[in-house]
Amino acid sequence: MQDAFIAAWQRAGQFDATRGAARAWLTTIVRNRSLNVLRDGSRLEFLDTDMLADLGDREADALAAFDLLAERDSLKTCLGRLEASRRRAILLCYVTGLSHGEVAATLRAPLGTVKAWIRRGLATLQECLS
Amino acid sequence: MTLEEKQALAGEYVLGLLEGADRIAFEETIRSDAEAAEIVAVLVARMQALDDTAPPLAPSAGLWDRIAARLDDTPQLATIAPVHRPVARPRKPVLGQWMAIAASVVVAAGLGFAAGGHVPQRAAPVVIAVLLNADDASPGAIVEAFADNSVRIVPLEDIEVPDGKILQVWTLPDPETGPVSLGTLESARDIRLAGPSLPLPEDGQLYEITLEPSPGSPTGKPTGPILVKGFAQPHL
Repeated sequence: MQDAFIAAWQRAGQFDATRGAARAWLTTIVRNRSLNVLRDGSRLEFLDTDMLADLGDREADALAAFDLLAERDSLKTCLGRLEASRRRAILLCYVTGLSHGEVAATLRAPLGTVKAWIRRGLATLQECLS
Repeated sequence: MTLEEKQALAGEYVLGLLEGADRIAFEETIRSDAEAAEIVAVLVARMQALDDTAPPLAPSAGLWDRIAARLDDTPQLATIAPVHRPVARPRKPVLGQWMAIAASVVVAAGLGFAAGGHVPQRAAPVVIAVLLNADDASPGAIVEAFADNSVRIVPLEDIEVPDGKILQVWTLPDPETGPVSLGTLESARDIRLAGPSLPLPEDGQLYEITLEPSPGSPTGKPTGPILVKGFAQPHL
């Protein structure tokens, strides 16, 4: 949190009110900082049992977030239309901040397959949302 | 870059999948390409519904103080976007908004910091009050009140705080509002409190410190004995 607010202070001059709300701007900074913290030094080079259990918990968090979306929210509708593996991969990235490789480990799928799920899932999602 | 490429990169960017040089390059694209920026903004706005499913967490004690302490040493990066300068209110030190992050975003953007970084100056307080000891009228503490609602408490003598009690700082913005809590401290020490959002402190405004049951007055108004109090004077 501290780092995120310091970054917001540093970049205050880059905030452009014509490009969207302050909330989205702050959210982006906080997300990026959080991902840096999550990934620096904790990049999964190999997996042990504890790590796999932890990743399993994160998958539960990601799916819970999807379940909590309001039924009338178009994001829920559009995510719901995706094939389950694509939806899970996207939720794991966005909600729990996993990288491609970590999603592959969590879903026990090949990295190339996961990248394709995410890429195609994102394209379908963006089309559905627009 | 084709529309499809922009959409694909925007999706990965919003999901947090772009890293390192790829991310920096795409952030540059967002700044220079209105279409890419729009795609990102739309997706961020839609995905926010997922953020909202998270339960709110209270910040840890002292978080603001630690952030504020670091801001003084942190230069700001250059302005990129021209934004309308907000109307400055009289008497308001424009650079002093470092506590209220939202405010500083707007104000700093409006000032147009020069390229190469700009070290913000710590603002002077708007008013200063010397709080006198209720027993013998000796000076007990100084309160400096800033335009960003924060106050700095400088104790001038030790104040004994019994177990289970806490010092609570109050001000009286106007008689109708009544006393408003500016924060609490466990012992008499030099501290900066964030303070609630209030009108700019005025000449003659009352400040006082009372002894309250920990973690603060149960009623939201002073209940304990007044230890020190005093009236504000404008900072010259």
